[in-house]
Amino acid sequence: MARVPTASIVRAGLVGGAVAIYVALVGLYTRFADLELVGEQLTLGRVLILAPALVASYAVTRPRIVGGERKPVGFGGGLVGGTLTGAVTGTVFASAVWFADWFGIDRIREIFVQATEALILFLTFDKGVPAGLPYLIVLCVAGGAVGGFARTAPASIRTPASVGVLAVLALGLLQRIVPIILFELGIEADWLYSPTTRGLTWRGAAGVFVVAAAANVLWSRGGTRLGEHIRRTVEEAPAAKVGLLVATLAVLSVLPLLLGTVISEVLGQVMVYVLLGIGLNIVVGYAGLLDLGYVAFFAFGAYTTGLLTGAFLNTTTGAAEPALSADLSFYVAVWIVALMAAGLGLLIGAPVLRLRGDYLAIVTLGLGEIVSIITASRWAQPLIGGPQGMRGVTNAEIFGLDFQKDPQAFYYLALAFVLLALFVSWRLGASRIGRAWTAMREDEQVADAMGISTIKYKLLAFAMGGSIGALGGSLFAVNIGSLSPASFGILISITALAVVILGGIGSLPGVVVGALVLIGLPGLLREFEEYRLLIYGGALVAIMILRPQGLIPNVRRSRELEEEEATQDAWAKGATGEAEAVAAVVPGGALGGEPEDIE
Amino acid sequence: MSQTPRLLELSGVAKHFGGLYALSGLDLYVSEGEIVSVIGPNGAGKSTMFNVVTGLYEPDDGDVRFRGDSIVGLAPNRITRLGISRTFQTVHLFPNMTILENAMVGQHCRSRSGVLGSVIRLPSTRREEDRIRTKAKESLAFFGSRLAGYRQDQPAFALSYANRRRLEMARALATDPVLVMLDEPTAGMNPSETLELRDHIVRMRDDLGLTVLVIEHDMRVVKGVSDRVIALDYGRKIAEGTYEDVANDPQVIEAYLGTKAAG
Repeated sequence: MARVPTASIVRAGLVGGAVAIYVALVGLYTRFADLELVGEQLTLGRVLILAPALVASYAVTRPRIVGGERKPVGFGGGLVGGTLTGAVTGTVFASAVWFADWFGIDRIREIFVQATEALILFLTFDKGVPAGLPYLIVLCVAGGAVGGFARTAPASIRTPASVGVLAVLALGLLQRIVPIILFELGIEADWLYSPTTRGLTWRGAAGVFVVAAAANVLWSRGGTRLGEHIRRTVEEAPAAKVGLLVATLAVLSVLPLLLGTVISEVLGQVMVYVLLGIGLNIVVGYAGLLDLGYVAFFAFGAYTTGLLTGAFLNTTTGAAEPALSADLSFYVAVWIVALMAAGLGLLIGAPVLRLRGDYLAIVTLGLGEIVSIITASRWAQPLIGGPQGMRGVTNAEIFGLDFQKDPQAFYYLALAFVLLALFVSWRLGASRIGRAWTAMREDEQVADAMGISTIKYKLLAFAMGGSIGALGGSLFAVNIGSLSPASFGILISITALAVVILGGIGSLPGVVVGALVLIGLPGLLREFEEYRLLIYGGALVAIMILRPQGLIPNVRRSRELEEEEATQDAWAKGATGEAEAVAAVVPGGALGGEPEDIE
Repeated sequence: MSQTPRLLELSGVAKHFGGLYALSGLDLYVSEGEIVSVIGPNGAGKSTMFNVVTGLYEPDDGDVRFRGDSIVGLAPNRITRLGISRTFQTVHLFPNMTILENAMVGQHCRSRSGVLGSVIRLPSTRREEDRIRTKAKESLAFFGSRLAGYRQDQPAFALSYANRRRLEMARALATDPVLVMLDEPTAGMNPSETLELRDHIVRMRDDLGLTVLVIEHDMRVVKGVSDRVIALDYGRKIAEGTYEDVANDPQVIEAYLGTKAAG
């Protein structure tokens, strides 16, 4: 068993304290002071007080390398280490609060606008400085202890406990959503959610905790075997596969009716990003071309859809006809949009054919910016409205469904697009084209020497990716009905890329999960809207540390990452004289091969 | 010699990197159905010659003709499609693709299904995919049980060193080549693996009807397989002929002994 070094405790505690101060200064505490998760006491604000200490102590009690081997920290040591970390965090945090009070909160406020009297009162539990500071420290210590517990307690206790706590927090956070669903399902929910605070009742929270923990215990006892059994049945019987597909489709098609308009709207937004993710995944995941200017296709799809379906330009005096326009049905226009976007993909792809990696990323970033700037420019005003944008994009009405006013209807349109794109992308990935892309990603020069035209397949990746991205833009335009350059900034490119990376580069289920997490969660938790970017950043950093291959990794990509680790292990073991045994299974430099050194 | 048609012909090929002449005025030819070995000390320009022929480098001067047509300036994938396929001195596989997939990539240039066919899986696409798979398995089967069975679904990086070399050759064979160019195929192999590979090279000619151009350092292999041996030094041909002729050539002995004496 490893110990937690004192220096690490102090360092982690200091970092935790700094994070807590940061969280306070950006206003998260005051913003969520009144968001009751459970009862009246457990507000999100208070959970956030304990969070930095918890995370710091969870990090500091990680397994340590002793004598070349990873050894977990013991339970006792973990609890003590975690508590001490929490104490350091609490002390730093409390000192900062005391300092702020002594220095004058109004003077701090001149720089940090969120530093208010209310913040001090919240952090001192309405008792003021110094009477409330011990409470603050105690809460941080508790957070530290929980972090140590969550890492080092015996797995049979800590896993169900963590699952239970996470379930309670999740249901507490989803307090605007879950009751609606329960209501739609006709389930009485007053025992679970308090009508006065809107959060969970203590009784309800206890129930959720017990159910989630028990489910976890049951699953670990027999669930994996059950899952394995189901998986094998499905694999062996084609009928079961079809059945599973039909069942999935059935669930997907009744979902909006069960979930109501609010969630359906969020799901619609999620699916726009699923489309963007699927398209970008072809470029980045399949072909390995890092494109940071993907918004170009999104904007192109949206504006072209507007032009082809007879939208107007916004002007200061009213509306004007665009310089070039058509009045096609959406269902005709969308195919033209996809084709034209493929052409744009070739246009964007051609100049960057010779570029790789970082250089490609920078150039595509620039190309994306060019498109965003053009959409907002006066020069393009006669065509697409410039800064004022366009309105009156068709609502693509069909069978009497209005996709602009009815989020539940839009869900079905978006679902159809997403399923189509998933199908195309899956089939392409599993064909000789997909094989060529993979070979090209693994070693461009060798792929060329083996008969793959890298020029052709790079362009094809840009064209296919661009086409699907433009469908995303098209869908977005139909949903929103009006277009403004503000919707087509670099943030779209970044978000789409984050969706792909978070889910697992090259993985289609990963794209869906990535979009659900990055777009769906913030959409459901409207309270977090202002902190969306903060959460993106945090989520990406956490993924890179905890699960660098993504949430649902592509098999090959995770191999690539494992390979690196195996090489590192081989190196480490080589130092202790076991190189020979490892060398046989470890991919050496010869296989990894930099593209440049064919000789 | 000139009765058999010349499959590959280099005339006056020069390639320099800055001031360094890797190849200068190199003339050589390979006739159909021959196994030709290229030998020479390190830095003689052997691999550079391979890279010039397969289109990775463009020669600064001279011409490379394949079946009578110049292939200078063609992209590597076009040259592969014409029927020249190769392996690399340091193994370059697609490490995270399976063994079968690596071989299937070789068939890429002999197949043509496009986006539409791949998405809706036309009958022709399916047939083609089956053909690709069969052909890839045939290529792997050339090496007997070494690359057979359960191994085919393992990632290439899981292979032993010798099997990586074999897979690279199988991938080259899967391109349906006319001329196979092997760059030091026995490097890093133990003596029994080397002997086995010697037989494989001969079988490439006798069973598959291929022409083989091979860079090799192991003189037992060179002696065992070569119809003709070409010795290079400083980017020029210094000797050519049967193994015995070349091995006894004073210039060749000097090139090798000189290197040894200096080392």
